[in-house]
Amino acid sequence: MSNPLEDPDDDWWNSPIHRRESIWLGLAGAWSLGIFTWMAGFTQFGDQNPIGTTYDVDPDRYQERVGEYKEAAEETEDGLIPPDNDVYVGAMRFNWDGLPAVLEAGREYDVHLGAYDVQHGFSVRPEENLNKQINLQVFPGSEWVIPMTFDEPGTYHVVCNEFCGQGHRTMHGRFTVVEG
Amino acid sequence: MSAIASLFRNDYDADGFRTCSVTGLDVHRSVENYVKLFGLTAVIALAVGGSFAFSVAMTRWEFVGLLDPSGYYTHLSIHAWNLLIFWMVFMEIAVLYVGGPMVLGRKLPLRRLATVGWVTMVAGAVGVNASIWLSEAPNEAPLLTAYVPLPVSPWFYGTAIVFLLGATIAALPFFATIWSETRDSRRTLPLVAFGAFVTGIVAVEAILGGIAAFAYAFAWRVDLIAAVDPGIYRQLYWIVGHGTQQINLLAMITVWYFLTHVVGGAVVISEKISRTAFILYLFFINLGAAHHLLVDPGLSAGWRIWNTSYAFYGAAFASMIHAFAIPAGIEAGRRRRGQGGGLFGWLTSAPWRNPVFAATIFSIILFGFLGGITGVVMGQIQVNMTWHNTLATVGHFHATVALGTTLAFFGLVLFVIKTMFRRDFVSDTLASAIPYAYGAAMSVATLMLMYAGILYGVPRRTAEVVRNIPGSEFNLSAAIPIFMIFGIFALLAILSGVLFVGVSVGSLLFGDRLAAGDDGGMLPEGGLHADGGEPIHAVELRGTFALCLIFLGVFVAVYVLNWYLLTQLWAIGA
Repeated sequence: MSNPLEDPDDDWWNSPIHRRESIWLGLAGAWSLGIFTWMAGFTQFGDQNPIGTTYDVDPDRYQERVGEYKEAAEETEDGLIPPDNDVYVGAMRFNWDGLPAVLEAGREYDVHLGAYDVQHGFSVRPEENLNKQINLQVFPGSEWVIPMTFDEPGTYHVVCNEFCGQGHRTMHGRFTVVEG
Repeated sequence: MSAIASLFRNDYDADGFRTCSVTGLDVHRSVENYVKLFGLTAVIALAVGGSFAFSVAMTRWEFVGLLDPSGYYTHLSIHAWNLLIFWMVFMEIAVLYVGGPMVLGRKLPLRRLATVGWVTMVAGAVGVNASIWLSEAPNEAPLLTAYVPLPVSPWFYGTAIVFLLGATIAALPFFATIWSETRDSRRTLPLVAFGAFVTGIVAVEAILGGIAAFAYAFAWRVDLIAAVDPGIYRQLYWIVGHGTQQINLLAMITVWYFLTHVVGGAVVISEKISRTAFILYLFFINLGAAHHLLVDPGLSAGWRIWNTSYAFYGAAFASMIHAFAIPAGIEAGRRRRGQGGGLFGWLTSAPWRNPVFAATIFSIILFGFLGGITGVVMGQIQVNMTWHNTLATVGHFHATVALGTTLAFFGLVLFVIKTMFRRDFVSDTLASAIPYAYGAAMSVATLMLMYAGILYGVPRRTAEVVRNIPGSEFNLSAAIPIFMIFGIFALLAILSGVLFVGVSVGSLLFGDRLAAGDDGGMLPEGGLHADGGEPIHAVELRGTFALCLIFLGVFVAVYVLNWYLLTQLWAIGA
């Protein structure tokens, strides 16, 4: 045992370690490896992973692509019904272009996320259960394609959770998920 | 002026040294005066940033709804920069000077550089504040991160670089001390100096990243380059954005070893284990910058998993080592003196009325249980989807920085008032109340932030969202009760901060001067060095072991709960 304000004895490296500290090292080490293994494994067997494919895209080009998608989609009172499994969302100050959209529960969509101007935050939750929510970062210059399957019908609200300017708090969009 | 000058006066011998009546260290005037200078500057930054905590908290508490968005983001930026950067970094330079030349009993070398560093840091800090306050449309408030391509004043990036350069210059006298102490000998530095040294290296790494990030954005803002890549900026930025918080962590842990020893009679139970933990930090902790990029596009899952885990949780393992070693040091030190039997007698009989001791212990406990656990849990890439940019994140870093580091630094400032300024507290009762009041109020406020974020998905960085989202029928009003509690306890925490500044400044100006040799009530019972030298294996450490098992139990529970919530979500990701 020594004093943290003085040089330790010459043989400090060989001083014995207390038995309880050794046990704690074992527990802490096992826990560290355990949570690493779980996190890495969950990417293989889990259903919730922030993993998709990213493409570099010019923001103007991405805006055009969202425009083409909106042309092809069917317009309804509740929002756009995508023509196929691809759903485009374009974040801009202070609006979610492409939303609101109407999706089917239980169907896997490829959600395309990109921004036209600055960084935004794509934050989604069902209206009835606020503790279910997913948050992803959206960049201008990147098109991030992430598969998503909404399992329950209902209204899902999208807010921006990355500061994007004075009107940031007004940025709101919606998915209406209907029975498939 | 004479009042200020008298703050820098003490009785030194002909060579400018004096022996500290508490630590027994030989302290040179030059080190002491610069520690005071950086410490006082830090407290000013604390007062500025803390004042803005009021307007920020009272805006997020939409029941009050103090500011509209045009003011809110400006206030939030000033709050963040003064508390998260200026209060911390000025204190950390002081910690380096204590951990280096003061512990080693040397003069401060390169004093002119220390002065240049201080002046540059002050110029940078004033400049950052001015650039935020005077920013005009189309420029936006930078918040802490100034993410490109949101337009932020180039003055902001420029003055932030000035501050970082100043901090680098101010750190040079510390590195010079370590260099001259170790270059000719195979000397093993004391643990506190070693911890400060690792802190210094991590700090330089962070600062280089910060200079790169801000220079990149600055070049874009003044049209030297045509475009910026938001992903590259974020990677560079988080080297300093997260790196500064790692400096806070390392400086805080160094202060824990220092203060638990000096005011609590702690020993080091194993030099080998504690130093290994610092080495693990040195190698792995900066990988934690990836915590902020877990739900970004464009980064591979492997990159994110490797970095967010600090390579198989090397740095989290290191923190768990300190979580045992520091309380065990107190337990061993106090049991050897015969202070306290049973499982926790060593802890209950400790000097709890000494605010330096109480602040240090609360810092350790609250950092670990509230800050450390949540940091690891939210740092798993899947769980991060539910924490990212919600108020839960804000709760996490208030637990690490506002509870952990700030409480430890409160303790250190009060310790410096007694031992370096040699002043008695204006009121022992009020001084003793500081860690209790601040620790309790800030803990509740912090927990409410976490609940609001995780259970109600309330975003951070927005002026209003709970009672009303303009232009939408939707709101998060289910979280209103949480915010009623948050608002009240945030106010109490701010009042406790006022109490700290009041007692500190009051003691400096009106406190009685301590007589030479008076320890000011700082030393543990039986003095700094207790008699008897039982070897470590003969001392019981079962109290610490029990505490650590409770900690691990809470860790597992929070981990499982977060993963349970995550798996209730709809399917996402490839």
